[in-house]
Amino acid sequence: MTRIAENQSQRGLVLNTLANKRQIDKYSREVSSGLKVVLPGDSDDAGTIARYQQTLQRIDGYTSMVAQTKNMLEFQDSVMSQMSELLIRAKELATQGASETFSTSARAHIAEEVYQIRDNVASLANSSFQGRYIFGAGDDDDPPFDPSTYTVPSSGSASTRYVFDAELGTAVTKTVDLTDNLSITVNTPADKLFSNALQALERLGRALGGYSTLPATGAPDGSGVAYSMPNGYATQTADIQNAINLLNSARDNDILPERVSLGGRLRRIETAESLLGLTKNSAEDVLSRIQSIDETESAANLARAQSALEASYTVTARVLRISILDYI
Amino acid sequence: MSNYGIKILNNAISSLSAQQALIANTANNVANVNTPGYTRRQVELAARGDGKAASGGIQVGSGVEVTGVKRLADSFVEQVLRSASGTLAGSNVSNDYLNRVQELFSLDGRGLTIGSTMNNLLSSFNQLSLTPANIDLRLNVMQRGEELVSSIKTVFDTVAQIQKDLNNRVASEVEAINSFTKQIASLNEMISRREASGVSAVDERDQRDLLLQRLAEKIDFKLVDNKGGALSVSLDNGFPLVNGSTSRDLSVTAAPSFGGGSLPPSLSGEVLSYVVYDYGSSGSPSHIDLTQVIKAGSGSLGATLQLRGYAAVTNTSSFQADGVLVGIASRVEALTRSLLVDMNRTYLGGTPGNAGDLNGNSPGPFGLFDFTSSGVKDDGDGIPEYSDLTNPALGIDNFSSILTFAVTNPSTFAAARDIDPNPATTLFQSGDGRNAQALAQMGNSSLNFAVGSFSFTGTFDELYNSSLAYVGNAKKSAEIAVRVAEQSFNAAANRRDEVSGVSLDEEFANLVKYQKAFQASARMIKTAGDLLDQIVSLI
Repeated sequence: MTRIAENQSQRGLVLNTLANKRQIDKYSREVSSGLKVVLPGDSDDAGTIARYQQTLQRIDGYTSMVAQTKNMLEFQDSVMSQMSELLIRAKELATQGASETFSTSARAHIAEEVYQIRDNVASLANSSFQGRYIFGAGDDDDPPFDPSTYTVPSSGSASTRYVFDAELGTAVTKTVDLTDNLSITVNTPADKLFSNALQALERLGRALGGYSTLPATGAPDGSGVAYSMPNGYATQTADIQNAINLLNSARDNDILPERVSLGGRLRRIETAESLLGLTKNSAEDVLSRIQSIDETESAANLARAQSALEASYTVTARVLRISILDYI
Repeated sequence: MSNYGIKILNNAISSLSAQQALIANTANNVANVNTPGYTRRQVELAARGDGKAASGGIQVGSGVEVTGVKRLADSFVEQVLRSASGTLAGSNVSNDYLNRVQELFSLDGRGLTIGSTMNNLLSSFNQLSLTPANIDLRLNVMQRGEELVSSIKTVFDTVAQIQKDLNNRVASEVEAINSFTKQIASLNEMISRREASGVSAVDERDQRDLLLQRLAEKIDFKLVDNKGGALSVSLDNGFPLVNGSTSRDLSVTAAPSFGGGSLPPSLSGEVLSYVVYDYGSSGSPSHIDLTQVIKAGSGSLGATLQLRGYAAVTNTSSFQADGVLVGIASRVEALTRSLLVDMNRTYLGGTPGNAGDLNGNSPGPFGLFDFTSSGVKDDGDGIPEYSDLTNPALGIDNFSSILTFAVTNPSTFAAARDIDPNPATTLFQSGDGRNAQALAQMGNSSLNFAVGSFSFTGTFDELYNSSLAYVGNAKKSAEIAVRVAEQSFNAAANRRDEVSGVSLDEEFANLVKYQKAFQASARMIKTAGDLLDQIVSLI
């Protein structure tokens, strides 16, 4: 016959009560934290949880990169848009100026506006984004086209305006990683985008202003070799026409492809952004399923553990109260 | 006729005495119902014979006598309980310490773990690659770098501190064991002496059983019951801890006399201790190594040694020792060394002078992650290499505790790569973030991590996740071991109580029975008196 000693029954009651208290502690921690896995030893899924947490952390980092890169490319796109408008206006002026109904003096007046357009284009080329020259490529602390400090590299003489700063690093394209599998080019060197347009506008301004001197000679505005009038009128007209061709070429070969490219890159970024969002949602779902509590289930577990603890208190009290002494 | 009257009286008197002995024993059992290690006792009674037949050849007996007091103990049950106690104590040690360790790898998403700080740093490199001259982003890189260094140091130093605590615990465990073995030897002597002179030694046996259980909680041992009441206690390899009335004190030493010399240093630099028996004279120690046999057994000392670590060969690296703590520390150290070698080499741009900062300067070999040392760190080629770290002249075992983030000024972070095609000259442009980008891309690179006997090939994330799984598995195993050991212990304790524990119900039921017998015996005395009075009145 099995004997039940005092310590046995007491041990059993205490152990059951403690086991129920441990359950209460476990479920109350779960309910208050919202997590059922907090430490590596809590579940076999700890490694998986860590992996999903890292995925989410990386997605957050990439999402921030995507936002900044998008912002940067949108800024460039807006510059290119303004650039297109300026070139259209320049072409309108040039077409007017090329008309043989325009006198030499009328052409000279148009030249002033063309020079303003040229200055605006240079200003766009020297656009600053977050304190850095966005078209400066690697050399983004110097303006790509500086009217005041540059000289003609070949001769060392005074420059025409807006000669490209051809320092090392200004011609590079930069790529950044937006996701583990997507790298995006974030710049096009200013030389490629603006030099031809500036040259064309400079040439147009000079021709309209009455000077046959090419920009490369280094002659400043309003100086150089003048057309010999009236015989030079036809040459001036031809030079204006040439400048129009150069403007067309700059638009077709430099600006439009860049706008197409920017549009394409922005679309890829938007796709990446959307994919990051989907991946994030999916990772959060999985993480939530394996790490977070089911609130209803946890609340039910907590209530059940409470009932069990109360029952064990009741049983303990009843069993311990019973004594043979009350009966003898 | 008169013979029976006296016999009745004598029988009743013997019964009164016997019932009182039973009641006294019951009182003792009840008094000790809560005494740890107490074994319930039973008074043993025997009927007294007549010696000769009464008239008519009828033998009616001469009453009852107390022949002894018996301890109701089962040596097999006691042995099972001792074994369960040892397993439970050992499991609790592992579980408690590993609980502290696993908190360093929290998954609550709020703390700065090595995994999260590493990803933050890699992300900060990537952010910087877009606008490399941005001072705020450069400061962000510095902060994330400091956080990573801090989290590595916190994990490593905590693990090292736990190992140090365990090494100190070895000494205190040995001290307790020596105290127990001394007391057991002393009780052996008392029991032998008392029982040889015919005196019961039940209390001493209880005390000895309790001490044996306490000893089993500390260390695994074998027990041999010698003749004459004494017990011998010996380790699994036969080394005697207690033999009759003598005991042998264990001791700890970091400088043993036997061949092989010292154990490797701990993670925090102290030398790990052996557990030995010293049979030499004062000032001239002669040690017998008992560390391995104790480590292989159950009990808290065995678990302490297992967790603390031990190396079968003498060497100078703390990462040669075994055990979970050294396993965790090896993984952290492997990451640290990879930062010092692989990441620093990328930061260098692959070769010296290939990367540069906003001031046009190139970093040194340990330009991103560095370590505090007065020794010469690089072998002169300007490139960080594993051979630089393991150079005996440098004499550094762990770099995790002395790791630093070397960039202290945002403008000196080398985000750019050399853009100058002329090999003789260098040019670093402020808008060039290729070096920062290369550092960020290291997050996807598979690297070889190795320290001591640990090696792993994978990304930083994979290394961290495998470390986390390693800790998690160790903790889960310890937790399961505790649960199983608790069940075994409770079953063994219940079995022991079933045999040796006091039941108040049983004792009070007995008490009533003994009282009734006592009352009946008293009535018998009265009856015998009445009979004698009747006889006397006839005269």
